[in-house]
Amino acid sequence: MTDTPTIEEPDLPPPRRIPWRYALIALPLVVAGLVFWWGYNRSQPHQFSGAVIQGAAAAPDFTLDSDRGPVSLSDYEGKLVMMYFGYTFCPDVCPTTLSDIATALEMLDDDEAEQVQLIMVTIDPARDDAARMGDYVRHFDENFVGLSGSDEEIGSVATLYGIYYRAGEGTEATGYLMEHTATVLVVDRAGNVKVVIPFGVEPEGIAADLEYMLR
Amino acid sequence: MVDVPPTIDEPRISRRGRRILIAVAVVAALVVGSVFAFVTFQPIQVLPRVRLAPGFSLIDSGGATVTSEDLRGEFVLYSFSYSSCETCGSIDTTMLEVQEGLPTADLRGYPVRLVTISVDPDDTPAMLAGYAGSVGANPEIWTFASVEDQRFLADVVAGGFNTYFAENEDGSIKLDRSFVLVDNAGIVRNEYKYQTQTSDTERILRHLGVLAEELDNSTGAASLAYEAAHLFLCYAP
Repeated sequence: MTDTPTIEEPDLPPPRRIPWRYALIALPLVVAGLVFWWGYNRSQPHQFSGAVIQGAAAAPDFTLDSDRGPVSLSDYEGKLVMMYFGYTFCPDVCPTTLSDIATALEMLDDDEAEQVQLIMVTIDPARDDAARMGDYVRHFDENFVGLSGSDEEIGSVATLYGIYYRAGEGTEATGYLMEHTATVLVVDRAGNVKVVIPFGVEPEGIAADLEYMLR
Repeated sequence: MVDVPPTIDEPRISRRGRRILIAVAVVAALVVGSVFAFVTFQPIQVLPRVRLAPGFSLIDSGGATVTSEDLRGEFVLYSFSYSSCETCGSIDTTMLEVQEGLPTADLRGYPVRLVTISVDPDDTPAMLAGYAGSVGANPEIWTFASVEDQRFLADVVAGGFNTYFAENEDGSIKLDRSFVLVDNAGIVRNEYKYQTQTSDTERILRHLGVLAEELDNSTGAASLAYEAAHLFLCYAP
């Protein structure tokens, strides 16, 4: 008979059962924590990419020409309207801005993107008629709308929306560049100009602003 | 055999739970109390962002072009007048007082410009130069100008700056007294149309200081406090 070594089991305390009262305390705390976290995130002031206007002055309505007929700002009541003033001969700033906005809209859910309408108004009506504007903006996104009008109509709308523009040296034959304010204006669903986005904001920033305004 | 009472862990656990609850309640009370104190005592005051200032191109009294883009980056106080105005004395006096108050105002080095826009299409640069000289304008600070394309005069002054003017039957012009303060981003931050207990000059100079302070704190963590002041409508009187 050989001695087999016996291993003494350590004297462990019996496993503790979690009393139901403990769970009663923990569960509401977890729920309260989740609610607090959700509320905290909802109530955080969103850091807009542009300047936010608190005033409730209605965005001035206007009617200009598109290649599919007259278009008014009020046609898009209930939507977020992004307004951009540029021109189709623009070498860099305008295509970059429109491309960034198109990318930002792709970042939104489909139902969110459907609630956003981009309108580009030419500040060079001598060269950009409605047909040219339509072709140009749809190159970036099928749903973009391009508008043109008379020199006086465009000047009036641009002035009221804080847009300055001026033709540079040259003629239609030789070509010329336009100086212009390159901001994007976002009109909220209540019809007020709410955000002024400067040139150069990344699509992620634009998308975040739109998402916040659509909440 | 002695009955040993079972050890009860619940009191220790519930005491801990109570402490957690108290801690949560204290934190919540601190948060609510801080917000309440912020709203009540308004340690930071701002001016509301009212609306977009109009886009424009002006011709100044020296014949040079001044556009809304040229003025971006400066705080600009606008007034509206015309060279033959006989009732515009108080408007010019306020602008002059602001001009003279700027060197002692707390502007933190930010540039300020005063611009008087003529509402009379017949005003020429030479007439505006004479007008500017007569009221003591310092051309380095205070610009007198007309809208370059007069087709847009009403859009700029009435539509953009919300200032009423109209031509009387006798050819004279009736005009509302109005000053408009625009920030460095081209956004209207205040309008001074109605006489208050505090003089327009005093309010304008104080508001320029409020704008300078906000611009000074427009980056980093401090900007959150200023955005909170906008959110809770902590507007400077």
